[in-house]
Amino acid sequence: MRALEPWVAAPLQTFINESAARLILLMTTSGQVVAQHGFSRSVEVMTAAALGAAIVASTEELSRTMAAPRFGAVVHNGSRQSCMLSAFATPRGRWIGLVVFGSETSVGLVQLFFDQMVEELVMVAPKEQAPAPMLAENFEDELNTSLKELFGR
Amino acid sequence: MSLVNFTAREITCKIVYYGPGRSGKTTNLQYVYGRVPEARRGRMVSLATQTDRTLFFDFLPLELGTISGFTTKFQLYTVPGQSYYNATRKLVLQGADGVVFVADSQARRFDDNLESLQNLQDNLLAQAVDVRQLPVVFQYNKQDLPRDLILNREEMDDALNFRDVPSFSADALHGSGVFETLKGVSELVLKRLAAGTAVA
Repeated sequence: MRALEPWVAAPLQTFINESAARLILLMTTSGQVVAQHGFSRSVEVMTAAALGAAIVASTEELSRTMAAPRFGAVVHNGSRQSCMLSAFATPRGRWIGLVVFGSETSVGLVQLFFDQMVEELVMVAPKEQAPAPMLAENFEDELNTSLKELFGR
Repeated sequence: MSLVNFTAREITCKIVYYGPGRSGKTTNLQYVYGRVPEARRGRMVSLATQTDRTLFFDFLPLELGTISGFTTKFQLYTVPGQSYYNATRKLVLQGADGVVFVADSQARRFDDNLESLQNLQDNLLAQAVDVRQLPVVFQYNKQDLPRDLILNREEMDDALNFRDVPSFSADALHGSGVFETLKGVSELVLKRLAAGTAVA
C-alpha cells in the first residue's frame, strides 16, 4: 500500500483489512493519485486514476443534466470482479475512491467500510496545506537531461 | 494541481493538450508514446469515436526521471477538439498544471484556432483559473505543409500569442517540435511549482 501523505495510511489499511477489497485507489477529482493498494506499476495506477476520475466527472455532469442529486456511488458488476467508484469531500478537497472487489465480499460490505474510511479520513486530515517542494536552482539542467534520456536524443 | 509526495519524493503534474479539432493533439501524444522506452510510460488510453476523433480524452502517463531528488511524473491529456464536445473538454481541463495549445497552421483554420483559444479562456475562467497565471505554450503544427497554405510562426504568434508565451513550430506527424514543446511546458510547470503556487 502506498499513500501520498502518512495520515491516509491507517484508515486505508483498515478498509483493506475489513472490506477484503482487491484493489483500491484514492485520487483527486482531476485524476491525481493520492493512495493505492494492489497495483504493481505506477504508470498503470495513473491510467486507472484518469479513467476513474473521468467516469465520476461524466456521471456527475449527467446527474446535473437530469437535474438530479449527485450519485452516491457508481458500481459495475462483473462476473469475476466488480468495481465501485465514489466521490467524497475531505478537508484537502474532493477525492474519489475506486475499489475493485471479488466474490469474497459484497458491494454492501464494501460500501459500508468505505463510508467508515471516509469518516476516518475526514477526522484525521490535517488542516494545514502541504509545503511547496524545494527544487534546486539547476533543476532545468536535470529536466533537460531527463527529457533527453526519455526521447533518446 | 500538481501532487507532491514528500515521503516518496515524487511530483506528479497534469498537462493538457488543447486546440481545435484535427490540429494534431492526439498525434503529439502518439509520437511521444512511440519514442519513449516502455519502462518509462504506461499504456496510451484513447477514448475515441468510430471515426477516430477523440471523444473524451487521450491519456499518456510518463515517468520523466529525477528532478532535484523528486521522481517526476507527467500525465499528458488531450481534449476533444470538436466544438460539440465542450462538456468533456471542461472536465479534462480540471486541475491542469499546464496547457499546450496545439494550433493548426493552415490559413483556412485561422478562425478555428481563435475560437478554440477563446473557448480555452472561457473554460478556465469557469473554473476560476486565470489564464495569465497558468503555464501555457503554443505549438504551431503542420508547418511542413506548402508555404502558400500555412501561416508561419511569426504570423501565428501575431494572431494567437498575445501574452508572448513560448511558441514552437511543429510537424507532429514526423516528430519535429514535439519534444521541444513538451520540454517548454515542463519547464514552465516546474518553475511555477518551485515558486510554491501550485501544490495541492
